[in-house]
Parts: sequence; C-alpha cells; structure tokens
Amino acid sequence: MLNSIKTNHFEGNASKELGMMYFRVAIILFGAQLLMGLIAAIQFLVPGFLFELFDFSIARMVHINALVVWMLYAMIGATYFLLPDETDVEPIGIGLGKLGFWVLTAAVTVVVLVFIFVQVGAGTEASIWLITEGREYIEAPRWADIGIVVVVLIFYFNVFATFIKSSKKTGIMTVMIANLLALAGLYLAGMFYTDNISMDQFWWWWVIHLWVEATWEVFVGTLAAFALIKLIGAKREVVEMWLWIEVLMLFGSGILGMGHHYFWIGTPEYWWEIGALFSALEPVPLIAMFVHVLYDWGKEQGIAKAKGETGSVITNGPAMAWIVLNAFGNFLGAGIWGFFHTLPQVNIYTHGTQFTAAHGHLSFFGAYATILIGMMYIGVQGAYGAKRMKMNFNSKMGIFLTAFGVMGMTVALTIAGYEQVLVERAELGATWNAFFVAQNLPWYVQGQMWRAIMGVVTLIGFIYLAVDLLTIGKKAQAEEA
Amino acid sequence: MEDILIVRPEILPDAFLWIFTVSTLVLVFGVAYAATITLAKMGYFSKKWMNLGYLFWALQTYCLYDLSVQIQSEPFTTKVLMVSMMAYFFIPHLYFRLIEDSDKRYEQSADIAEHKN
Amino acid sequence: MANENLSVWTSIPFWRRSAAWVTGFASILLIWLTFDTLGQISMGNDADLKAGTTKRVPGPTVINYKITYEMSKKRGHEVPVIGEKEAFFGKSDYSEKEARALLHLGKLTSQAKNCMDCHTLLGNGAYYAPDLTKAWIDPAWSKTGPMMAMTGKSTREEAMAEFLMHPSTYPTHARMMPELGITAEEAKGLVAFLKHMSSIDTNGFPRNFGKEEGSTNAQ
Repeated sequence: MLNSIKTNHFEGNASKELGMMYFRVAIILFGAQLLMGLIAAIQFLVPGFLFELFDFSIARMVHINALVVWMLYAMIGATYFLLPDETDVEPIGIGLGKLGFWVLTAAVTVVVLVFIFVQVGAGTEASIWLITEGREYIEAPRWADIGIVVVVLIFYFNVFATFIKSSKKTGIMTVMIANLLALAGLYLAGMFYTDNISMDQFWWWWVIHLWVEATWEVFVGTLAAFALIKLIGAKREVVEMWLWIEVLMLFGSGILGMGHHYFWIGTPEYWWEIGALFSALEPVPLIAMFVHVLYDWGKEQGIAKAKGETGSVITNGPAMAWIVLNAFGNFLGAGIWGFFHTLPQVNIYTHGTQFTAAHGHLSFFGAYATILIGMMYIGVQGAYGAKRMKMNFNSKMGIFLTAFGVMGMTVALTIAGYEQVLVERAELGATWNAFFVAQNLPWYVQGQMWRAIMGVVTLIGFIYLAVDLLTIGKKAQAEEA
Repeated sequence: MEDILIVRPEILPDAFLWIFTVSTLVLVFGVAYAATITLAKMGYFSKKWMNLGYLFWALQTYCLYDLSVQIQSEPFTTKVLMVSMMAYFFIPHLYFRLIEDSDKRYEQSADIAEHKN
Repeated sequence: MANENLSVWTSIPFWRRSAAWVTGFASILLIWLTFDTLGQISMGNDADLKAGTTKRVPGPTVINYKITYEMSKKRGHEVPVIGEKEAFFGKSDYSEKEARALLHLGKLTSQAKNCMDCHTLLGNGAYYAPDLTKAWIDPAWSKTGPMMAMTGKSTREEAMAEFLMHPSTYPTHARMMPELGITAEEAKGLVAFLKHMSSIDTNGFPRNFGKEEGSTNAQ
C-alpha cells in the first residue's frame, strides 16, 4: 500500500508527485469518514449497535476528524500540485515536504488508533495532551496539534519560498499565500485550555468559522480560478479579477458573519444584529461564483464554436463536472441551507438540532468535497499525461450517486430537524424529556432511516469514484496512444 | 445602552414551515433572477425573457418582506431589507457589465496585461 | 492603447486594493468586538456573587447558590437568576479555590470523556443526546422528576453524579449513555461544571425551558 501511495508518473516534477501523495491519503480518509458516518447513522436507529464497544461519540469523532483531515490533505495536495504551474520555477524544499508528509501521515495514524482503541481518558491534563481534546472538529490531542503546526510550517515555508523565488507573481498565488497564512495561523486559536466554557467556544469558533466560512471558501475560489484556466482555457486576467472580487465579498461577509455563532454562548446581544446582517450577506458571493463559472464555460464554448472547433472545450470532463457541481453545491448547501436557519429569531429554535447536521452535510460536500475531488481528477490527468479525459461510466456513477446520496441525507435530516424544532423546541421547551419525545416521533425516525439509506448510496458512489480515480488515467493514456 | 431591548417574539409551531419555505424562496428567486438576466444578456434566449427575471425579483422582494413579517422583525429592519432589495435589483446588471467590460479589456490587450503584476 | 477608456471597474489593481481594504476593515472590527466580548464573558469571582453583581459568566462559587431560569421583562427572554444559598453535596460554603478546582476537574473531564460528541453544550456539539446548557435545572432531576427515585438519591447533585458514574444501570430510553469510567470525584466535578454552565447568560437559549412544577405540557 505504501508503494501505491508513492508511485507517480511525473517526469521529475517532485512537487506534483508530493501533491499526488496527499491526494491518495485524502481519498482513503474520505472512505474512512463514510464508514464511520454509516456506523453513527445505524446507531441512531439501533441504539444497541456496538454499544459500549464503539460508541456513537467515537464513531462521530472519527467521522468528523477524518473529514477535516482529508480536506486539509487534499488542500495541501492541491497547493503542491498547482505550485509549479503558477510559479514556473522548481519548487523549493520538496524533499523536506516529503518528510513532512510522512511525519503527518504517521501522526494522523497514531491519533486515529488512539481514538479508536483508547477512546476516552481520565479528567486530567494528560488526557488532553495524549488522548483527545474533546472539542468538536479539533479533537486531536495537544501533541498532535504541535506536530501539525510544525508540518504546516514546513509546507508554508516551501510555498512561500517558491513564490518569492519566482519572478512570476500571479493573482492566484498572491491570494493563496495570504490566505494560507491566515488559515494556518487560525489553528493556533484552538490550542489552549480554559475552564470557562463560553471563552472556550468563543475561540473555538475562531478556528471553525474562520476556516469553513472564510479562509476555506477563499481557497475554493482560488482552486476554481486555477481550474477554469486549466480546464476550459479561461482568460487569466478575467478570472483573477473575479477572484479578487470574490475575496472581497467572501471576507467582507464571512469574517463578521462569525456573529451567527455568538448568539447563545454567553456572548453579548449585539452579535444578534452583526450575525444576522453579515450572514444574510454570505450567500451573495456564492451566487456570484455560481454565475461566474457558468458564464465562463458558456463563453469559452462559444469562442471555440466560432473558430469552427467541434466538441467540448473541456479538457477534463470529470474535473469540470465536479467543479460545476461545486458551484451548485456551494450555493445550495452553504447558501440556502445556511440562510434559512441563521437569523436569530429562527435560530433560537433550530440551534443544535438536526438542521445543523443537514446544513453541515450538504455544505461540506457541496462547497469543499466537490472541488477537491475535481482537483484530484486534474492530478490524475497530469500524472498520466493525458491531453483529454472524458467521463466514463464509473465517473458518472461516482458523481451522480455521491451527490444524490448527500442530497438525500440532507433532505432526510432536514425533515427530522423540522420535527425536532416543532416538538422539542417550540412545544416542549428543550428539556431532557422533550429531546427524547422528539427523537421518537415517527417522522423523525423515518428521517433517520432515510439518512442511513442515503448514506449507503453515498458510499456506493464513493466506491465508483475511487475505482474511477484509480483507472481513468490509464484508460485515457491508452486511448491517446 | 442598557435600555435598548429587542424582544424576541414567540413563533407559533404552525408558522415554522412557511418561514423555512419563504426563506428558501428568497434565495431561489434571487439566483433565478441573476441567472435569467445573465443568460438573456449573453444571448442564450431572447431579451423578452428578462421580464420573467424581473418577475423573479418581485417575488423575491415579496418573500423577503413576508419573512420579515413572519419572524416579527422591527419596522426599521423591514425598511432596511426593502432598501437592500432595491440595491439587489441592479446587481445582475452591474455584474454583467463588469464581466463584459473585463472581457473586452483583457481579450484585446492580452499581451500588455501579461506583463502586469 | 486606449487607456483613457479603461474603466476602474475592470482594473485588477483596483479590486485587489478593495479586497485588501475590506478584509482589513472586517478583521479590525472583529478584533475590536472580540476585546469587548472577552471583557464581558470573562469569569466573575466570589466578590461579584456576594455583591450581587450580574456577570454573563459568574464565578465558580456560583455552585453555592440556587439557580433558576426566569423570564425577564426587560430582556424579553429568560435569564438565569442566582438566588439564596443552596447546599451542593451537603456544603454551601465552597471557597473560591475549592470551587475553581472542582470546576477545573469537571471541565477537563467533559473534554477527556468527549461529552460534546453526543451532547450539545451551549447548543454546540453532536445531536445524539440532550442539550446540557441548562441540564442542572432540568425538571427530570427535580424532586418531582423521575431521576432521583431511579438513582435512589435525595438531592439533584447526588442523583446526577450517580447517573454519570453508572449511566447504563439507569436506562431512561433505548438510547443509553455508555459507561465512561467516570470516578466519584470526576462526577462531582462534572455536576459542578453543569451547574456553573446553567448560570451563564445565554440570551434566552434554550427558550421556554421546561419549568419544574408542571408548567409545560410535556408528557
């Protein structure tokens, strides 16, 4: 298996090889994430399943940590991959970067093994340092936090030094450099302990929110810009001008959109107004990104037609399909599913219900998984040196079943959440008893059942996707030979 | 400062479904408006269809107004929302203007722009 | 070279500068608000409690007092109200140091046992088990609720501690809490942590929380 992670086909392009190594681990972790999600979904329906052996909290912890880690892996991979193209120089420090990769992968393996086999610790500082920090999404123990920071510093140094060395300073790389610094720096806000739970959650959101609703979104904008140039030959100046406008809108709304997490954690009332205003603006850049991708695609196709070329301008079918899906998914998951429960008047009822879970599933998939998978396809195309890569049966099944499955889970969880809001929150007042009454409502239980079924659909889609990623490059190469 | 109070009114269980629906419609009509105007201007279909876009905009405005009533926003907030809908009316036009102008500028001066940055 | 016709709206440097300004402005505003908020959510102390000064996050010695959750006409929603002295594990004069140590143990335990990956705290976490924000004042643990009788304890804190130590011995529903190896001392700390959390001013979340003496229509 180690060999399959290492094998690459780039002629001496070490940075791209390293990018591919990150992609391979990312896809393995994606699979682990789906399996853990499936266990947790079954536990909602059959509470005795693996009880006191592999409890919901453990399955859920590995589920969300695998998610965060695979996305970070794919992001680092994507950055190493586009680095030589965007700078036109031999990237610096790739040997060190490879060492960092193996250190990080070893650390992730140890953390996951400890999560699975040790599970919980005693109420001491040692548990926080060695077993788990017990803070949703960033449960990794403190020793691993420090390790992650070191490896990310190596990564950032490589990217930064390459950028400085190159005489070509593209807009994409400029945004990337600034954004990665913010992304990495924010992790530090989640690395301390306090007895004050309000303070704890205040800083915890600095990591979580400023990642997923600000810096990660900008990262997606950067990847989309790179992909539009690479895949359909969009004009760099136009794409980069729009990238800056997107940065303006995403950071302009996203940074203060933080307010919507500060409604109920002990923080002052003024966050109601700030949170409502800025999170209402958050869908605006998503609409812009959506229209922009479609416009560019239409325009480039039109130009090619005018030149009398037949066929598509798209050089990589599956990658383009995933990137178009990203434009839709980002708007649906982050935009619509985010907006309808973000205003404080409504959020007091929906906060901490299955609505949040529905939003989480669709937005992580729509906004991030899609474009990162698109980048993996671009990586595969490069690895096999194929000029064109077309969708085949596996790619179609992969994209259709995962998208359909995630959408199905989202709708099912939304229905369950709606029941929960009505009965647990509006009628019964959110007590222990109210919680369990709502959990046993027929609509709620059926919602959970459909969620599990759609989870299986997603998993089947993932299998097609994984097979396709492993085989499509060779097929495209064989066709062109 | 201490006296500024915002009363969080009760939402009746029957009202929730409509609140969720109408807030979804705000964004759906919003994107439909932007898409119709953009596609019509790109020439994918006749300019007549732009009227349909304006209808989407009107529906979006109505939905947002209704949402603000349903969640019992204060009259001032409702007014602010309506003013922002007026602003949104111009967004797709402004947006298209930007795309078109930047296309013109950078397609023509391709080799000049290469040396910038 | 029709430079005079080039509009600023299509200029890359213009948008780059605007993006930098907007991002910088939003960041500075966030940092400024953060300083204000940190001041308001920093933990109070014993002197505040004795003087009756309202803090959004009271000091740890709040465990010496009775906590209720009442409608405030002025605020338009419910707020925690700190009342007269009340015994907590048979004692109502925890010193600042003792109470802080107990809260410290409880908060650490809540992280080491991963409470947040089943429950929500202040509404954040997983949705597999009830929200713990106001668990301390949940009617289920009152004299009229089922939990004291089930655990055979006569006070709220002892019932909670007993449940936390042996949760699957006292199943309330098919979905049970697993044994997490919580010791008696850790359980005491956790209950102190929960009691302290219930005293935090959460702007009325959760809304219309169940009252103790049958004021809801819960089954």
